[in-house]
Amino acid sequence: MKEAICVKGLTYSYPDGTPALGDINITINEGEKIVIIGPNGAGKTTFFLHLNGTLKSQDNRILIKGKDINGMSNSERIRKVGIVFQDPDDQLFMPTIFDDVAFGPINMGMPEEEVKERVKKALSKVGLEGFEERVPHNLSYGQKKRAALAAVLSMEPEILILDEPTANLDPKSRADFIKVINNLNKEGITTMIAMHDVNALPDLADRVYVLNKGIIAEGSPMEIFSDWDLLKDNNLEAPDIFKFFKVLGCFGYNCEDLPLSLDEAVEVLARTIEKENGHVHLHIHEHTHAEVKDVMHSYNHHTTWHE
Amino acid sequence: MDYPEIDRYASIDSPIHNFDPRAKIITFMVMIFSFVFLDSITKALVGLGIASLIYIIAKLPKAFVIHRLKVVFLFLFPLLIIMPLTVDGQAIAQYHSITITLEGFQYSSLVIIRALSAVTLALIMLGTTRFDITIKALYMLKVPGTLIQMLMFTYRYIFVIMDEFQRMWKAMESKGFKLKANRYGLSVLGNMIGMLIIKSYDRAQRVYQSMISKGYTGNPGTIVNFKLQAKDYAIALPMILIALFMHTYHLVL
Repeated sequence: MKEAICVKGLTYSYPDGTPALGDINITINEGEKIVIIGPNGAGKTTFFLHLNGTLKSQDNRILIKGKDINGMSNSERIRKVGIVFQDPDDQLFMPTIFDDVAFGPINMGMPEEEVKERVKKALSKVGLEGFEERVPHNLSYGQKKRAALAAVLSMEPEILILDEPTANLDPKSRADFIKVINNLNKEGITTMIAMHDVNALPDLADRVYVLNKGIIAEGSPMEIFSDWDLLKDNNLEAPDIFKFFKVLGCFGYNCEDLPLSLDEAVEVLARTIEKENGHVHLHIHEHTHAEVKDVMHSYNHHTTWHE
Repeated sequence: MDYPEIDRYASIDSPIHNFDPRAKIITFMVMIFSFVFLDSITKALVGLGIASLIYIIAKLPKAFVIHRLKVVFLFLFPLLIIMPLTVDGQAIAQYHSITITLEGFQYSSLVIIRALSAVTLALIMLGTTRFDITIKALYMLKVPGTLIQMLMFTYRYIFVIMDEFQRMWKAMESKGFKLKANRYGLSVLGNMIGMLIIKSYDRAQRVYQSMISKGYTGNPGTIVNFKLQAKDYAIALPMILIALFMHTYHLVL
């Protein structure tokens, strides 16, 4: 497999000297689905800004497909890596949606006809056909989010980076957005997403990095969520389904792999029941309550604020 | 929330609306300059009449222009009081050492009439075109890119900033704040405006980063397709001729 992104020892401090990122090493292969989790202010956005050269790193610490990002031309750099930021109002800065979506391709120096074609294609990918002449401030938040994605897709980047794509979206928009991202990944685009929404994470991640100024941990979603010390230290949590099956374990439910999403839960449950000859056996014995309490406690750090 | 949407009625169908945006800007600018330099009240009134006629042709709602002209008039009204008192000339009334002059009265009326017709024309020009199209037309007319971008971002973010102000205002009201014209009220208002400036500054930073990440190099980066048609010449030509005629008719007639 070919490397899409290779970051070697990236360090960054804000202009006032506050360290933001320390010694980050990451290697991501082409076509992978990566999610980055970390507390607020962990440096996720700062890290992303480095990946397409918006913020410049020292030396050649960032290689995109084996090539130093700082050595790339303007149009090559934006063709390789597209970033969708969190607040769509920051990214839809042109008078109309058409202008916004056309902004990248125009900067690539494309001929007019191709720009128009790309705008059309990008808008249809996010389900905003016919929105060309609309003005951003008349759009709903969900529509703005999708338009912001289209404005990046029109550059047809090989690597797509999204900062909190599901934040503040209603459930339907959130599900739609996740589907769009997954479709893009299936088309071969490497996706890298920062998010707090752990319940949506399993759908979007093959591999998870925990970032908190530096890379704290890396692994499959299962590995990360099983390590509750890690989660606790970084103000993170595990998906509800995962926690629930941990609790079921205390009641004597026995399965090897715990599910991370509802779909997986159904699958796992069906498999376990079949294995146990058509039923699952739950029970309470003397240690159960203590065990449940222990599990609850280990995954529940939300109460500390009130104490 | 009442947004200052100058182009709210840009989708109406009228000859002025369908006028090519570039030709519209040039024609209206010529007219505005012509009307502003008219030297008698009679001519200025004819100018105002022509402006009103174009306004009727443009089918814009009455409230659209009157609402805005009121504001302009409010600014100009002091002239009506000050100029009759300060300009020398034939006295029409006298009270001790204060004289009110006819010339002063005429001058101020002239200034006001000219301003009203110029503003009416400008409002028709801006009100019959979507604002983004106006900006693009200016871009096509080779107005400097920096200016174009300033206009673009102002137009885009004025709404965002207004929303932000609204949110802050509601947050304050929900905590029981009522604006009073006292020192406390003013200091709170000052803080709020300061906060808005800081927020805008932060946003500008983020917008800039997002522009860089899309390959921004300093150009406005937009595609415009306007085509001048025969009908555009048919509107532009008579209008420009009228504008010129207002100043040169004594040579012709």
